[in-house]
Amino acid sequence: MANETANKSKDMQYIIVGVGGQGILFTSRVLGKIAIDKGLPIVGSEVHGMAQRGGSVISHFKVGSFFGPLVSDGHADVVMAFDQKEGIRNLSFLKEGGTFLVNTNCAAMFENDHLKKYIADRKIRVCKFKGFHILDEHMEGNYLFLNVLILGAAAGLKIPGFEEDRVAAALKELAPPKHIDSNLKVFGLGIKAASA
Amino acid sequence: MPVKAMLLGNEAIAGAVVASGCQVATAYPGTPSSEILPAIAAVADRLNAPTVVEWGANEKVALEMAIGASFTGARACAVMKQVGLNVAADAFMTVALYRLKGGLLLISSDDPGPHSSQNEQDSRMFAMFAKVPVLDPSDAVEAALMVKDAFAISEKYSVLTMLRTTTRVAHCRQDIEQVETFEKGNEVKFERDLSRWVSLPAIVRVSHPLHNERIEKIRSEFETEWGKYNYEIPSKTKAKLGVIVSGVCFSTLKDLMKQWCRDDISILRIGTPYPLPHKITESFLARHDKVLVLEEPYPVIETQLMNRSKVDGRWNGVVPSAGELLPELIEKIVLSEIGVEAKKPDASELKSAIEELGLTARKPQLCAGCPHRSSFFIIKKALPNAISPSDIGCYSLAINQKGVDSSLCMGASVTMASGYYLAHKETGQERAVVATLGDSTFFHMGVPGLISAVYNRHAFVLCVLDNSITAMTGGQSNPGLTGKPRKDDLGVALPIESVVRGCGVTFVETVKAYDTASGMDAIKRAWEYAKTNKTPSVLIFKHPCMLLRVPQEKISVTVDNDKCVGCRYCIDNFGCPGLSFDESAKKVSVDKRYCVSCGVCAVVCPQKAIHKVAK
Repeated sequence: MANETANKSKDMQYIIVGVGGQGILFTSRVLGKIAIDKGLPIVGSEVHGMAQRGGSVISHFKVGSFFGPLVSDGHADVVMAFDQKEGIRNLSFLKEGGTFLVNTNCAAMFENDHLKKYIADRKIRVCKFKGFHILDEHMEGNYLFLNVLILGAAAGLKIPGFEEDRVAAALKELAPPKHIDSNLKVFGLGIKAASA
Repeated sequence: MPVKAMLLGNEAIAGAVVASGCQVATAYPGTPSSEILPAIAAVADRLNAPTVVEWGANEKVALEMAIGASFTGARACAVMKQVGLNVAADAFMTVALYRLKGGLLLISSDDPGPHSSQNEQDSRMFAMFAKVPVLDPSDAVEAALMVKDAFAISEKYSVLTMLRTTTRVAHCRQDIEQVETFEKGNEVKFERDLSRWVSLPAIVRVSHPLHNERIEKIRSEFETEWGKYNYEIPSKTKAKLGVIVSGVCFSTLKDLMKQWCRDDISILRIGTPYPLPHKITESFLARHDKVLVLEEPYPVIETQLMNRSKVDGRWNGVVPSAGELLPELIEKIVLSEIGVEAKKPDASELKSAIEELGLTARKPQLCAGCPHRSSFFIIKKALPNAISPSDIGCYSLAINQKGVDSSLCMGASVTMASGYYLAHKETGQERAVVATLGDSTFFHMGVPGLISAVYNRHAFVLCVLDNSITAMTGGQSNPGLTGKPRKDDLGVALPIESVVRGCGVTFVETVKAYDTASGMDAIKRAWEYAKTNKTPSVLIFKHPCMLLRVPQEKISVTVDNDKCVGCRYCIDNFGCPGLSFDESAKKVSVDKRYCVSCGVCAVVCPQKAIHKVAK
């Protein structure tokens, strides 16, 4: 029983959303690598095919004692959004008190009264970072680094499953060798963005 | 100790195919099955296994190659998506009755939802129709186990078997032990045996009853030996409800049962939907006052139940007859069966926010710089009143720029162009018809339609949008290219222009997809030629797919704010993600998050507000 409780506490459900082509699948690969290294079971669901062509993309990812690949509405511990519109559209996946990590490019949207009320009522922890702005400033506007930036932000926020040293190790292993230096640089920018 | 890796369901299946000693593996790509064949090649390369891995020009070709291999004793496997099975159906329906030699596995992937398909058909229904035993996994780990067992059943009974997956199994990620070894394949020795290898009526009159007998034997095995796939999870207290469940719905239900902490629902999981283990299902029915059937996407198990008087499912509308059975829906259905209302957090504030902010799901679209966008712009501009039948592939996304008037199934652009022509032929109306299809689709099923159009003197223009890849499914090779799945294996690339000429077409030209001026001229000439000579003319629009990332000249563009009148012409008729429209300012600007500097949009603006930037 004690063991069961211990396992339960490690159970994590993630929703990762964005637009096809933003490199969302890489984020779940990093999550998976970290969980497997810890010896934890994983199950998740990805989008391939037509929807990857610039449309809305959603990845479900569960670590711990789960069977099915899909996260139920209202049960995600974390919603990670590469795109704020997609993030808001999928916010109902988040459980009460969950973390909403979102790349923002239009702050006005978050001033919507209904959204503010929903976030307050559900006690949602909102963590915004200006991904495009950061990449414009430091990476010559190469937005393909957005996925690594969001990993950095997740690590900076100490979201379970994104431990800083483990993400860095996973990046070194999973990303193409020629991009390692830039990836680690962007990862650092992400960590900084989270604490800013 | 084997290493665990995070594998896609399709990769787990591929590992098991190689591990089972499969000697010949074939496929035609189609979501959600596409990753299986390349993964078979990758595992075979890694283990240095003697598995021949090939793309067929279409699913019928792929299945028949595997059937031929099986007749010699080789263990073989063919992979396709559910609608691909329709293309292979001629072979499938008949080979079902054959007494095969080498194990033969057909993997067919369904797409409830649908996410990336033109319908929601159920391959298990097709298996029942053809009388082919089918295994239906609930997750990636089980899919891999079932591959091995499907080969075993196939060889024990000399029968074709099917593994049916769905999108959520094919594209799930799980921690799975990587395959490190593979079984030895069978001896390859073709022996003449007309009682087995031909399908004459006299032979079918013998083989069909024999097949029925072996199906009953397999049914009784599914009732006993294969209990690992068909089993009950009884409730701890008297069950208010029995649920018969298969596929990924079973995994979902297990998660929900944990969440609910209920002990009054019992579950019968069925992993072999055809032939259905009747003794198991009937016993379960007898012991429950009320039974719900959850399966995707069609009622295959439900239809086979002997007595449905206490069964809830699709027949009485308790389970919706279309769409995916997502966790929230399964929760609602199951709980309402036992009189409990599903608890849902109040999301009305969020709903209002989404409405006020005007947030809708982003539609899939052609990539920035996609040569198809340019080709469709050319076609529409040159012949604005043409009827534009298109096909299955990325180019169907040109619907966003009104470049597509109809689509149906693989190859139907060509044949329906014939139909549009024929319908107008005796009416005296003149209507241009311009069909579009991709390189892989042309080889798949475009050729017979083209031959028929030449023979019958049909006037239309066929545009083959050759981006040197099978793009929508993730970038597979096709007969127009030399690439093959296994390392160091090279094919012969067939030039599309020669194939078209070989079909009897007398007007064939290749144009650069980015060259709008030449393209427009070619389209007009092609239609004039077709009309005058009563024959199809063919244009090949060539430019590599953006996903191939072939280096190309960068031509930056900018929008002159003074000239832009906010008419949205570029947005509605070109629709590139690299151009964005500011609703409040009523101006277009270049969105550098997406723009790849192909430069094509510079010709699009009627006000000439989009300029190329001088280097």
